[in-house]
Amino acid sequence: MKKPKVKVRICLGTACFVQGGADLLLYNDFLEPEVLADCEIEGCSCLEQCKVGGGQAPFVEINGKIYDGVTQDVFCKLLKEAVKE
Amino acid sequence: MNNIFIDVDYAQIYKHGQKIGGDVFLLSRNPENNQIVATLSDGLGSGVKANVLASLTAHMAHKLSFSPISLEHSAEIIMDTLPVCKERKISYSTFTIADIHYNDDMENIAVNLIEYDNPASLRFSGAEDIKWDRTRTELKREGAFKKETIAQSSFKMDIGERLVMFSDGVTQSGLGKSLPLGWRLDGVRKFIKEEISANPDISSRELSRAIVQKACALDGFSSKDDITCVVVYIRRPRRTLIVTGPPFTKEADEILGEKIRNFNGKKIVSGGTTAQIVARLFGKKLKVDLSCWSPDVPPASKMEGIDLVTEGMLTLSKVVTALEKKENIADMPNDPAKKFVEILLDSDQIHIIVGTKINEAHQDPNIPFEIGIRRTIIARLRKALEENYIKETSVEYL
Ligand code: FES
Repeated sequence: MKKPKVKVRICLGTACFVQGGADLLLYNDFLEPEVLADCEIEGCSCLEQCKVGGGQAPFVEINGKIYDGVTQDVFCKLLKEAVKE
Repeated sequence: MNNIFIDVDYAQIYKHGQKIGGDVFLLSRNPENNQIVATLSDGLGSGVKANVLASLTAHMAHKLSFSPISLEHSAEIIMDTLPVCKERKISYSTFTIADIHYNDDMENIAVNLIEYDNPASLRFSGAEDIKWDRTRTELKREGAFKKETIAQSSFKMDIGERLVMFSDGVTQSGLGKSLPLGWRLDGVRKFIKEEISANPDISSRELSRAIVQKACALDGFSSKDDITCVVVYIRRPRRTLIVTGPPFTKEADEILGEKIRNFNGKKIVSGGTTAQIVARLFGKKLKVDLSCWSPDVPPASKMEGIDLVTEGMLTLSKVVTALEKKENIADMPNDPAKKFVEILLDSDQIHIIVGTKINEAHQDPNIPFEIGIRRTIIARLRKALEENYIKETSVEYL
């Protein structure tokens, strides 16, 4: 059976967008094509993480799990791992 | 807000190589007197000399049409005042004056039209052209170098009607190039009919632009004269609703839903939380559209029934700045702020519903996302729309 794609949601609420979310949207430029091929990436509105405190924007949800402080480098690493699993 | 709108706009292309036009268009809206005056004048020749003649004519015609003097008499005064060209020993410039009056409720729109030597104006009801009678008066001015005939007519304009005025740069376009006799009145009339048939709601801005561009194309994109076209269009106002910010109480959410549902016009929702509320109320899905964003403005989302769904503060401030600076839309990056501005500029009346719920504390205190700021930005938005673009705006808080 074909492996299901990794589901990725980048938070594009105001707080996340200005604190690095915009950089993540350039994923076509910095993600490796093989990784990209195995991911299904979409944008989403505020994940409500910025309101509960704790954790640093921008937030990203990968297969249902929330990650914080996701820079481009962190994003690459997280997705590589997720794809391998 | 009125239910009838008089849409007046014009487009102009100068004679190829000229930086100043010999065609001059003036427009004044005088809401206190319920009057709009549109004047188009074409001065002899082209360039600076023609511009001076045409400006003088247009300004005099304009002033005089606000005075009790009859328009025919005004025309004589104008022609007696114009300076005489040294070489040709004549003073000459053409003009068309549309003096438009309306009642307080915008009903009963009456036009007094004076035409002197410009190509005859055209009228349309939908895509059908209207024929009407003009009274011609010969001026018999002393020292006139030719027969001077002024055509005067008065008529009412109804919803869906247009009055189109232009300079001879339009009717004579293509002369000796693509068309042996030029475009001529018949050609222009046919073109306008086709344009209106294809796009019945075409705005005065778009229609006047289409006409001058076509004329310029007939001239092989090197216009042989100034090309100017003015369109007056009586229509229902175009309305846009902007919803921004969640309502103060949960109960008010329903009211917001009702207001959006019942609104007749374009609908914009600005703000992530607001968008979620609206999506829930309407039972619709929100989908982020990653094809349209810029580093300053987060992507828009798509929702059935709403024309544009954007993020809140970043997008709004971009929109306001663009309107305040009168930025050229074509120069804006392809992001939701641009789409926002496009919709606003295409509307006559803009209603804004501001939700007054204070957002839960943001983790970053630097991000100003509270009602005070929202109020300020909405006030700036209204001011820019009203002062820079003569739009009607209204606001309500929920
Ligand atoms: S803006 Fe990203 S979690 Fe709120």
